[in-house]
Parts: sequence; C-alpha cells; structure tokens
Amino acid sequence: MSLRNIIFSLLTILLSLTSQPGSYAAIPPQYDSPELALGLMPRTPQQIAAFYEARGFSEQMIQKLKQQCFITVWIHNKSSQVIWLDLSRWRFNNADGVVARRDRHYWKTVWDEMLIPLAHQSTFRWTLLPETLDFQPDEREGGNIVLPRDDKPLQIQATFMTRADKSGTPITVLFNNIQCAKDP
Amino acid sequence: MNCIKQIGLVLLCLGLSSPGTALEASPIPKGLLRLEPYPAPAIELRDLDGKPYSLQQEQGAWVFVHFWASWCRPCRDEMPAIQSMINTLQPEGLGVAVINTAEDEDTVFSFLSVYAPNVRPLMDRNGQTTEQWQPRGLPATYLVDPNGQVRYQALGGRAWNTPPYLTFLRDLLSNKQRTKLLFTNASKPHQ
Repeated sequence: MSLRNIIFSLLTILLSLTSQPGSYAAIPPQYDSPELALGLMPRTPQQIAAFYEARGFSEQMIQKLKQQCFITVWIHNKSSQVIWLDLSRWRFNNADGVVARRDRHYWKTVWDEMLIPLAHQSTFRWTLLPETLDFQPDEREGGNIVLPRDDKPLQIQATFMTRADKSGTPITVLFNNIQCAKDP
Repeated sequence: MNCIKQIGLVLLCLGLSSPGTALEASPIPKGLLRLEPYPAPAIELRDLDGKPYSLQQEQGAWVFVHFWASWCRPCRDEMPAIQSMINTLQPEGLGVAVINTAEDEDTVFSFLSVYAPNVRPLMDRNGQTTEQWQPRGLPATYLVDPNGQVRYQALGGRAWNTPPYLTFLRDLLSNKQRTKLLFTNASKPHQ
C-alpha cells in the first residue's frame, strides 16, 4: 500500500470517528482520493420499507428487509486505470468478530423459499452493489450491501485491486464506527 | 482497372464488416466502451400495448438497447435525453429497444408520461431478459451492429442528445449506409 493510500485511509478513520454514531443526519462516511471516491450511507428501516413498498414488494418481504442493516455504497473511479470492486475482498467486523454479509446467493435462497415473484427478486438484485465490477475510468456505480442488523459499531475494510490485470497497488479504505441506521 | 477497383471495394467492405474493426470515424464519446464483439442475447418482449418486439427484426440496422427502471435516479436523469436522441435518429435508421426491468405497467406508464412520453417501452416483466444481458448496473446501454453483434457499452447515464453522441451514432449509421452502398456497387456487373 502506498504512503498516500495509508494517509487517506487514516484521514478517513479520523473523519468517521468524529461523526455521530447512529445519527442519520450526520455526514455519511466518505473516502476521497485522486484515484477513488467511496461513500457509505446507512439506511433506516423506514427508508428501506418506503423504497421497496413503492416497488410493490409484499408485506412479507418488507418485514424481512426491515430486519436487515442496509448500507448504500457509492463508488467513483477517478483514476485513469481500471479499479476492481470485489466484495469478497471487503471485511466487515464488529466487537464480536466477523459479520457475514448477506449476498445475492443468500437472498436468492430466502426469496425462493418465500415464493417471491421473479420480478421483485430481480428488482431487489439490481438495488444491490455488484459482487464484482471492473470500474472503468470515471465510472460511477452504487448499490446496497446488506448485513445482519446489530447495534454494535462496524468496521468496514474495503480493498480494491487496480489495473485491468489487477497487478497495480491495491487501495484499501478503512471505515470505523459505522452504525446501522435506526428509525427516528 | 475496373477489376482492381472492384477488389478494392470488396476489401474495404470486408474491413468494415469484420469483427473487432473500428466502425466509427469520429472519436468515441466519453463513457462509451468499445467491446470485443459478441452475439447480442435475444430480446423477445412486448411493449405497453402488448405489441411484440424481437431484436431479430432489427437485423441490418444499428440498435440502441437500453435497460432502465423508474427507481434508478440516473435513469430518470437520462431518459429525456434518450427520447430526444430517438426522435432525431430513429427516422434516420437507428433501431431502438428501451427495456424496463421488472416493473409493472402502471409504474412504467406514470414514469414515462413525465420523463419521456414518446418512448415505446418494452416490458421485461420478470427481469430475465435484463439478466441475460448482464449489465454493469442500471441504466445500461448497448449498441448492437447490423449483424447482431454487441459492439459498444455505455457506462451509466449519458447525454445522448448532445453533439458528441449524436455525431458518433450518425457516424455508425452512415458507415452502415456506406457498407450497404459498397456491397451494392461491388456486386454490379462491369459497365
């Protein structure tokens, strides 16, 4: 990891420590460097319910979703080379240890067991952050990551490989003290 | 001499139509990626009125294939530009497939009546056609060549009604015209 990346990561940690835990009004955690911008926005259960209700999701689905911790992630590749998003390289931890992210495979199983229509499964999938994506120069994409809901502060470590063949210096961003957003 | 000219024309035609060859004379606008050509996945959908659409019907034309959903903010921002571009270039020969991903008729109708009333939406009711195309996200746009090969992909929403994109698309359309003309000329008997 380059010195510049380490400095940016430390700045990010400091910024996240100064934010109000659990407060939705606080400035969302952000990382910004000449190569990459990355932001996190924890969503409240009410926000999630409102969004998916408006898409016609059933009460059964809404109740399931309200029990989760949704964090909307946005990513902007500001560099002139490819930056790889690979969620398998992201680490989620709290005081108890590793927090397992609920990925597409998890949701496919849940929705199939609940006999959820394919249209709603599809819409839900498109609102998730891609598992992997080769971000092209200036490309921006976003989406949700879903974790089990918990009051404990989270540490999120996001690692991105760089260059098309992944041979470049990885970028690692560390966010501390991330809280699942609560309803007011 | 005529024979040499004919050979030249044939070679030029082959160059224009071979996979991987750049078809554009103007620069590729920002946010558009040239792809290694691959066959476009099938699109067999119906529009809001229930009228069927097949991508195969477009064979011989460049086709603008676009995936969107009403809940996606960049889709909302981009749709008026798409409508404007379609109004300009569809009459010039551009094929268009604007596909809604997994929403119902009411949602699509309400959305388009505000943002792009002239666009004819195709309904991917269960989202499975969108899955086949494996977009990077929504919105997603692809340009399919007259031979049914996917040639370009746009990253996110683009200002399709602005000069760089219109010029680029026109250039593709005119290349197609030129290709057709060259083939026609090349197949003419010696004068």
